[in-house]
Amino acid sequence: MTSGDGTRQVHEHQERGPGPDDVDLGRVWVGVAAQVWRRHPGAVERLAGHLLRSPGLARALVTTPSLLLGWVIATAVVLLAGLLATLSTGTPYVALFAPAVAAVGIAFAYGPGTDHTWELSCSMAVSDRMVLLVRALAVFGVNAALGLAASAASGSATAVTLGWLVPMTALCALALAAATVARSANVGVAAGLLGWTITVLSGQVAAGRLTAAVTDTTLWPAYLAFASCCAAIVVYSTRTPRGTS
Amino acid sequence: MNVEINDLTRRFGRTEAVAGVTMQTGPGVFGLLGPNGAGKTSLLRMMATVIAPTSGRIRLLGRDPGQYGQRRQIRRRLGYVPQNLGYYPRFTVVEFVEYFALLKEMPPARVHHAVAAAVERVGLGDKATAKLRTLSGGMLRRVGIAQAIVNDPELLLLDEPTAGLDPEQRVAFRALLRDLGQRATVMVSTHLVEDVGAACTQVALMDRGKIVFQGTPQELTARAEGTTAAGDAPLERGYSAVLSQARS
Repeated sequence: MTSGDGTRQVHEHQERGPGPDDVDLGRVWVGVAAQVWRRHPGAVERLAGHLLRSPGLARALVTTPSLLLGWVIATAVVLLAGLLATLSTGTPYVALFAPAVAAVGIAFAYGPGTDHTWELSCSMAVSDRMVLLVRALAVFGVNAALGLAASAASGSATAVTLGWLVPMTALCALALAAATVARSANVGVAAGLLGWTITVLSGQVAAGRLTAAVTDTTLWPAYLAFASCCAAIVVYSTRTPRGTS
Repeated sequence: MNVEINDLTRRFGRTEAVAGVTMQTGPGVFGLLGPNGAGKTSLLRMMATVIAPTSGRIRLLGRDPGQYGQRRQIRRRLGYVPQNLGYYPRFTVVEFVEYFALLKEMPPARVHHAVAAAVERVGLGDKATAKLRTLSGGMLRRVGIAQAIVNDPELLLLDEPTAGLDPEQRVAFRALLRDLGQRATVMVSTHLVEDVGAACTQVALMDRGKIVFQGTPQELTARAEGTTAAGDAPLERGYSAVLSQARS
């Protein structure tokens, strides 16, 4: 195809004046361009590359927030509203909001209809399942950090500050499982929000408190067992096809 | 042979998109022609290891894509431009191509030079640091081609690659295909018969999931002799003649 400006200049130079015959100016230009355009990974990406043993996965991990910028903004807004509501009413709304917004983000992390390059990603040597997992990890991590910051700012008790992380894990797993099975982010969002609404309301009915779903530590084994089941569903639904006959 | 396919089928529910396709091909540019719904995209997606066949055998680059380890090796040496290629609008051209170079598990030390070479090769050097959201449809198509060739693939699969390219870009693209076809197997699915005539050494014509013709563009053209097949160019008349015969 036609070359860019840099290459055109090189070709013009080749036509105009003499130069050493054994110097391929096109290759020289590409070498220069490679250095000029070279992107230098940040510390987080380099660390992730070492931990994940894959520069591709590290790149997928650190770029997730930029791919889902709308989700990051929405999360910050919702948690800020939860923080204000918590400060004014005394009820730890941050703890109730954090799992739900995380579930929404997880559902939109990856998949057909959500990721613009999903089909292309499915033809890559780094498996799409691994990309899905690191994206989910990125969403979970950002949500956990934002949620912890909001909880700390609201002055909630330590149990409440950390307690919602366990239900958030279960809810994220539910949203991810629904999104991957149905191949629809919207289905994942619906499942996550519906599941959380039912959990919160049933906790209120059983314990008489709206926040029972995040403060009752006896529920933690159930949350973790549920998260494990959902994770198994995700693994099954993203399995790679075996055999060709 | 880089591509060996034997009695390959793919069903989507009750629809048989690919119905017993058999083909073998080595290096060169291979054109895949056919009307809408002929099964070209499904066949390419199976070759790209995106979907699995319902039945039949497929070997790519001497390996079985049904085995995880071998599929990974195939994918490292594969280039693919899907029909609906999506983009990350906030990525620059270089970032996008680099991202997929890394997902193809190219050695990190080679990535920067390979990305620059691919971007220059598709003529996007002056847009290398531009955000994808600022590019035209034709430029985005060239970004897609750049990511496909960044790993110097031995098997390059292109689904409607010239859609959105202007005539000058298409001419340049055909030259690029011929160059790539010197060493690699380049499989091009297209509606544009003139692309096949100009760039392909072999051509297959698909209809209703089956290959109804396989040969050289000259042989396809010859099929129109003695018929009243419609078409503005000889190759188009050959295309129409073969389809008419297949459906009669």
